[in-house]
Amino acid sequence: MSLYKNSAFFVLSLIYIYALVSSDGANITISYAADKLKVIPTLSPAVVVPSPVFNPTVLDSFVSLNLLSTFPEDQEISEYCSELLHIFGQRYVAYVNCLVPAARPVKVCLNCFSTYDSLIVTYNNISSDKMGPGNVSCRDSLLRSDRLMLVYLLYSNVDSLWTKSNCDHCINKDPPSLTNDTVYFMSTLNQTLTCFEKHQQGNQTELCKSCKTIYRSVNELYGRMEKNQTMCIDIEDAMNITRKLWSKTYNCSFPREETVPVIAVSSFMLFLPIIFYLSSFLHSEQKKRKLIHPKRAKSYASLMNIQDKMS
Amino acid sequence: MANITKKVSWSSRADESGAAGEGTPLLNGSEQPKLSRQDSLRGRPKEIPHNEKLLSLKYESLDYDNIENQLFLEEERRMSYMGFRCLEISRWVVCGLIGFLTGLIACMIDIVVEELAGIKYQVVKENIEKFTEVGGLSISLILWAVLNSVFVMLGAIIVAFFEPIAAGSGIPQIKCYLNGVKIPRVVRLKTLLVKVFGVICSVVGGLAVGKEGPMIHSGAVVAAGVSQGRSTSLKRDFKIFEYFRRDTEKRDFVSAGAAAGVSAAFGAPVGGVLFSLEEGASFWNQMLTWRIFFASMISTFTLNFFLSIYHNNPGDLSNPGLINFGRFENERVAYNLYEIPLFIAMGAIGGLLGALFNVLNYWLTIFRIRYVHRPCLQVMEAMLVAAVTATVSFTMIYFSNDCQPLGPEHTEEYPLQLFCADGEYNSMATAFFNTPERSVRSLFHNQPGTYNPLTLGLFTLTYFFLACWTYGLAVSAGVFIPSLLIGAAWGRLCGILLASITSNGSIWADPGKYALIGAAAQLGGIVRMTLSLTVIMVEATGNVTYGLPIMLVLMTAKIVGDYFVEGLYDIHIKLQSVPFLHWEAPATSHWLTAREVMSSPVTCLNRIEKVGTIVDVLSNTSTNHNGFPVVAQVAGSDEPAKLCGLILRSQLIVLLKHKVFVELARSRLTQRKLQLKDFRDAYPRFPPIQSIHVSQDERECMMDLTEFMNATPYTVPQETSLPRVFKLFRALGLRHLVVVDDENRVVGLVTRKDLARYHLGKHGLEELQLAQT
Repeated sequence: MSLYKNSAFFVLSLIYIYALVSSDGANITISYAADKLKVIPTLSPAVVVPSPVFNPTVLDSFVSLNLLSTFPEDQEISEYCSELLHIFGQRYVAYVNCLVPAARPVKVCLNCFSTYDSLIVTYNNISSDKMGPGNVSCRDSLLRSDRLMLVYLLYSNVDSLWTKSNCDHCINKDPPSLTNDTVYFMSTLNQTLTCFEKHQQGNQTELCKSCKTIYRSVNELYGRMEKNQTMCIDIEDAMNITRKLWSKTYNCSFPREETVPVIAVSSFMLFLPIIFYLSSFLHSEQKKRKLIHPKRAKSYASLMNIQDKMS
Repeated sequence: MANITKKVSWSSRADESGAAGEGTPLLNGSEQPKLSRQDSLRGRPKEIPHNEKLLSLKYESLDYDNIENQLFLEEERRMSYMGFRCLEISRWVVCGLIGFLTGLIACMIDIVVEELAGIKYQVVKENIEKFTEVGGLSISLILWAVLNSVFVMLGAIIVAFFEPIAAGSGIPQIKCYLNGVKIPRVVRLKTLLVKVFGVICSVVGGLAVGKEGPMIHSGAVVAAGVSQGRSTSLKRDFKIFEYFRRDTEKRDFVSAGAAAGVSAAFGAPVGGVLFSLEEGASFWNQMLTWRIFFASMISTFTLNFFLSIYHNNPGDLSNPGLINFGRFENERVAYNLYEIPLFIAMGAIGGLLGALFNVLNYWLTIFRIRYVHRPCLQVMEAMLVAAVTATVSFTMIYFSNDCQPLGPEHTEEYPLQLFCADGEYNSMATAFFNTPERSVRSLFHNQPGTYNPLTLGLFTLTYFFLACWTYGLAVSAGVFIPSLLIGAAWGRLCGILLASITSNGSIWADPGKYALIGAAAQLGGIVRMTLSLTVIMVEATGNVTYGLPIMLVLMTAKIVGDYFVEGLYDIHIKLQSVPFLHWEAPATSHWLTAREVMSSPVTCLNRIEKVGTIVDVLSNTSTNHNGFPVVAQVAGSDEPAKLCGLILRSQLIVLLKHKVFVELARSRLTQRKLQLKDFRDAYPRFPPIQSIHVSQDERECMMDLTEFMNATPYTVPQETSLPRVFKLFRALGLRHLVVVDDENRVVGLVTRKDLARYHLGKHGLEELQLAQT
């Protein structure tokens, strides 16, 4: 019974945070979300502090549920844990706020690695089995007390996003910073783009000629990084865009201009077998088989037999 | 009616072959004069161009029938109960070894091909990249063609000059062996080496071939070698498994080896067992099947184990098969009831295309046998095919405008960019610039939209003709993978077209699924296997629910294809002039009796025969008989005598070699008695009679055959119908069947060639001719 109550309350408190975060992500403007963010610190204690009184003007929808949340004191989560949870929420929101504008063109690693890192630190605090003040482990109470396991779910979401974008390849772990490769690549890329911009006005063949070296170097660098597995989605995306600019917008791909020699060589090759077969047909001695006449008892009779029976 | 009967007769044979002379004017010219004088030519050897209606003299039967002579009975009496148990255990050990070695060979082929092909494609790719930029792509084309030709040349030289029997997939040969035909040199160590090396060369050489068929042959050779416990080629005798040194035991192991080969090639142990049953083992029982299955399982998992080490995750046993179809598991590839008719229609297309493939290949093979028979010509032909394959592929890639973005997971091993935008690759190149197996896999599994219809259509067309041209070259290579590839390409095309017809169709018509069905249909249309192929495909895809559609597709393909022409393997067996016994006698042959079928008169030996007579009979090159009925002594020479046994050439040779003469036995009482072991030691390469020296004195000695002959040979009365004789032969695996009259006197002898010469043609029952090849 006690466990049930505890978890129910816990869920309640989390739903609130989740609602805030998800609504931010969906369709509410960022400034509005930021406003809400400021609200949280004042609200959260009201949710988690062991007082049965909610502010009805803010949380209209929770009024009917108010009665449920009157748990005995010892079943509540500790102050320490609720504080952790609070910080987690804040940082989560901060990270998501950073991610959304970085969706296109993709900058999720380069722009948001610091917010991600702080989020992870908080989560690690929650999930560590170190005892906090009052000998409580927040891991059990926050992460594993219910079926939903919301905190874990939120975390794993972010984590899979991070893994999927291969951000680890661009970001140093301790302290969180861009790797040298990444910085170098980005600077080379920027040079390329500057070059593109400079020659944009003029002739396109001019652009292809003058930016060729710098583009080539960035392309090679990318190829190396691809082989070494030292790149993240940001680099891939930036390179993709650049390549598209180069090949499609400025049309600098290789032209197909040696059609005649290729056709000549291939028709020569295709001609060879014809000669081969003709010459072997005309000059090679045809293989003959010697027929053997087996011993048969009355072989003519048997033929007659066949004839009789067939007719 | 008279017209029809004329076709059947001996004398009009030449006329028919000339008329059906495949449009070669030379034939008629050479045949005409002989036709006019045919009656006077009777008896003298007549020469005709090679065609499918011949039986070659060089093929003989295997001695499956146990020779129950007195030596055998004595040995059996001496053997203890434990002895028999040990035999049974050693059978299992042999099967385990067969599986293990076959898996190992498969693994080795796979790794070597992967490494070498990797190097080749890397070199060509770098070259193409270099020349795309600075110009001169025709040099890349030449480089590619030369690389291909060099590899193929190596493979072709070793096959054409050292072991011609290793050419092709080897499945027809193994099929014949298991049918009971002794194909010379087919299960020798040398053949195995040539086969393995040859298949590596031809796959790396970029021919339109696969390495799966040769695996089956390799498995069979391994089985034949291991079970004998010695190698005649290396002259090493390990003195083990001596009991298995006869055709009956060897056949069982060879069928296990073939199964192990299939199972290593496709990762399909059950499919392997069923292949052995369907294609080969006319003789099987429960224990044998279980042992074959054991060998198959061992082989698959040996392959898995060693490949897992190669792929750096040792201990992972879940990567079976040389050809890995990948897993068809997600819900995209589920199928629905309304798709079944579509599948069946695809099966019919597969049957038609397969029949076309077979007909083209038949003409090509006839041409090859008649005109391209010299080894150096064969090597040149193979090199030309390799060069043309590279040229065609390159031209296709060069002119293709189908560019696709590089996938994140990099399923393309060697993406070629050429004139595509950066970050994209040429889609035609994934199909052509790759080992065929990888191409199959990418056709099965790449995302919808990876190939555009034009690419697939062109690819199907070119690859169809390339594969058809390639099969039958003097290189060791199989036809499974090319068939799958052709089928997968047009199957995928079907899938794409279906999806584009229906407005929202992309959900149900997943191209990968249709690629699989197309592959099954095409393969079924070409090789016409049924049960085993279904199971192999189901096992290779790892999805049992595909059983029904694949079965329906294969059934349709076989029915449609059989309407036009036989399966590819049967065509090649026929063209090799092998006396192959099918499951049943020709349908309308009940009126033929043993008297008409048999050879007569028979060369008989007396129970106690003069050595000189025996040597003369054996040395007679014009009648290369292998079995001699032993008769009770009679006075008159022309009078048929009473049958009392049957003795084989091989036995007589061993007897002559050991000089088991009556006179010698009397004079030297201490002489060791001949045992069954002496016969086994000489097996399987009995020396020719010419190598046995018999002095003039010894020719006057007598030999007593009583102890050594099979005292109870199978006999039939003269009135037995052909189907009855056929059934006896097929079911018991006989080599000689003595025809006797009502007083048990020998009147004739039926052998395999006497039966195999009847077949049902367009004009009713036809007879094949015997020929020296």
